[in-house]
Amino acid sequence: MNILLICAAGMSTSLLVTKMQEAAKERGIEANIWAVSADEAKSHFDQADVVLIGPQIRYKFAAFKKEGEARGIPVDVINPADYGRVNGAGVLDFALRLKK
Amino acid sequence: MDRFIRVLEEHVMPVAGRIAEQRHLQAIRDGIILSMPLLIIGSLFLIIGFLPIPGYNEWMAKWFGEHWLDKLLYPVGATFDIMALVVSFGVAYRLAEKYKVDALSAGAISLAAFLLATPYQVPFTPEGAKETIMVSGGIPVQWVGSKGLFVAMILAIVSTEIYRKIIQKNIVIQLPDGVPPAVARSFVALIPGAAVLGVVWVVRLILEVTPFESFHNIVSMLLNKPLSALGGSLFGAIVAVLLVQLLWSTGLHGAAIVGGVMGPIWLSLMDENRMVFQQNPNAELPNIITAQFFDLWIYIGGSGATLALALTMMLRARSRQLKNLGRLAIAPGIFNINEPITFGMPIVMNPLLIIPFILVPIVLVIVSYVAMATGLVAKPSGVAVPWTTPFIISGYLATGGKISGSILQIVNFFIAFAIYYPFLMIWDKQKAAEEQADATISGGAGTTHSM
Repeated sequence: MNILLICAAGMSTSLLVTKMQEAAKERGIEANIWAVSADEAKSHFDQADVVLIGPQIRYKFAAFKKEGEARGIPVDVINPADYGRVNGAGVLDFALRLKK
Repeated sequence: MDRFIRVLEEHVMPVAGRIAEQRHLQAIRDGIILSMPLLIIGSLFLIIGFLPIPGYNEWMAKWFGEHWLDKLLYPVGATFDIMALVVSFGVAYRLAEKYKVDALSAGAISLAAFLLATPYQVPFTPEGAKETIMVSGGIPVQWVGSKGLFVAMILAIVSTEIYRKIIQKNIVIQLPDGVPPAVARSFVALIPGAAVLGVVWVVRLILEVTPFESFHNIVSMLLNKPLSALGGSLFGAIVAVLLVQLLWSTGLHGAAIVGGVMGPIWLSLMDENRMVFQQNPNAELPNIITAQFFDLWIYIGGSGATLALALTMMLRARSRQLKNLGRLAIAPGIFNINEPITFGMPIVMNPLLIIPFILVPIVLVIVSYVAMATGLVAKPSGVAVPWTTPFIISGYLATGGKISGSILQIVNFFIAFAIYYPFLMIWDKQKAAEEQADATISGGAGTTHSM
C-alpha cells in the first residue's frame, strides 16, 4: 500500500506521515507513506496507490484528480479537521477506504 | 459574519483558485523555487563573510590574506548573481512540462533566448578615467542576476509558448523511417528553437535603434520600477498580507498563492539589499519589504503569526481539546508551520478567530515597517534565510547579524499574543462548556474526548 500525500511545500503533510505510519504499524498494515510538495508531486504519482492532498491546496484538486484518473489511482482531499489535528489513524482509514 | 464567510467561499476562493492554477504564474513560481536552494547556499557564505565580531575582519585577513572576503564570496557570484539564468531555464522547463512537450529543450532554448536579449557588454572604468566605458566580450553579471529576472521570466514564457505551439502543430523536421528515434528527436527542437531565437533576434535589432537600446532597459523601465515601487511600499505589503490572511481564512494556502504573484518582485527587492550589503554591511539598505520581511518578521509561527497563539493555548487553555492542540502545534509552530492551528482549532471559516487572524499580521506589518523605516531596527540584508528557521535566530541572521532584528521579532510575538489572547479566551470558554456538556450527557466520569 503506497500512500502519497501532497501539500504546498510537503512540510505540514510530513507531520501527518509520521502519525499515519504509527497508526499503520499499530494495526500491522504494510504501508509506505510519504509527503512531497505540490510542484514535485507529478513524478511521484507512478509509485502511489492512493493520493491524498492537503486541504490548503484543494484548488489544485482538479489537476491532480486528472493525473490520478490517467493512472487509475484514487485522489482526494484530506478532511480539514483530521488534517489540523494530525489524526493519523483517521486519515489512514480514509486512504484505505479510497483504495477499495 | 456568516455573510462575510459566504462571500469568501463564493467569491474569493474561486478567483484565488484560478489565479493559483494559472499555468504561467505556476511556472514562474516553480521556476523561482529552483533558485532558492542556491540562494540559501550563497547566503551561508554571506553570513560567514560578515560575522559581526569585533576584529573578525583583521583576524581573517591575517590568516587568509587581505583578499579573503572576495575569495569567500565567490559562491555568492555563482548563486545570487546568476539568478536570472536559473529562473530562465526553470520557468521554461516547468511551463513546457505543463504542456507535455520536451521540457529540457524548452529550458535550453529559453536560456539562449535570454542571453540573445542581453548585450554582451560590461561597464568598465579605466584607471584614472572619470567616465565608464562599455567593453564587449563578457556576459554582464549585472543582467544575469536579479536585475534580469523579469526579462528572464518574460522570455521564458514567450519562448516556451512559441516552442510548444510549433511542436503541437507538428511542424518539425521529418526524417525517413530508417532513422533511429533518438536521432530524430534531437532534430525536433530545431525549427521551434530557430523560430524563438529568430523572433528575439529581430526584436533586439529593433530595440537597438530605439532610445531603450535593449530588452533589459525597456523592461526595467516599464515593469521593474513600477512593480517594485508598488510591491515595496507599506500599502502594497498590507494588501498582500490582507490577501494571504483572507485566503487562509477560507483554508487556502494564501502565502503560496500571493507569493506566486509577488515572488519575483520581493526577490529582486531582496537582492537589491544584498548587493548594497555586500559592499558595506553597515550601509543604509534600500528596501524594507522583501520576502524575508513577511516570512521572518510577520509570520512568526506561520501565516497569521500563530506561534504566540499555540503557546498560550498549551499553557492557558482550560478546554482539553485546545490544550492538546496547543501541545501538538507548538513544535511545528517553532518552525513556522501552523496547519494544526488553522485547520485544527480551527481558524478556517471560524468567524470569531478570523478577526485576530487578519488583524495581527496587518498590525505587525505596520509596526515592523515603522521600526525599520525609522532605523530602530536593521532592514533585511538580503541574506536568504529559509522560512522554516525559528524566530529570534532568523531575525539575527537575516539582518546580517544585527540583534535588533531578533528584538523586533520578540516584540511582534508579544503583540500577536496580546491581540489573540481575548479571542482565544472566548473560544476556549465555548469549547470548555461543550466538553462539560458532553461529559454530563455521557455520564460524567472519565470521558475522554477524541482529539
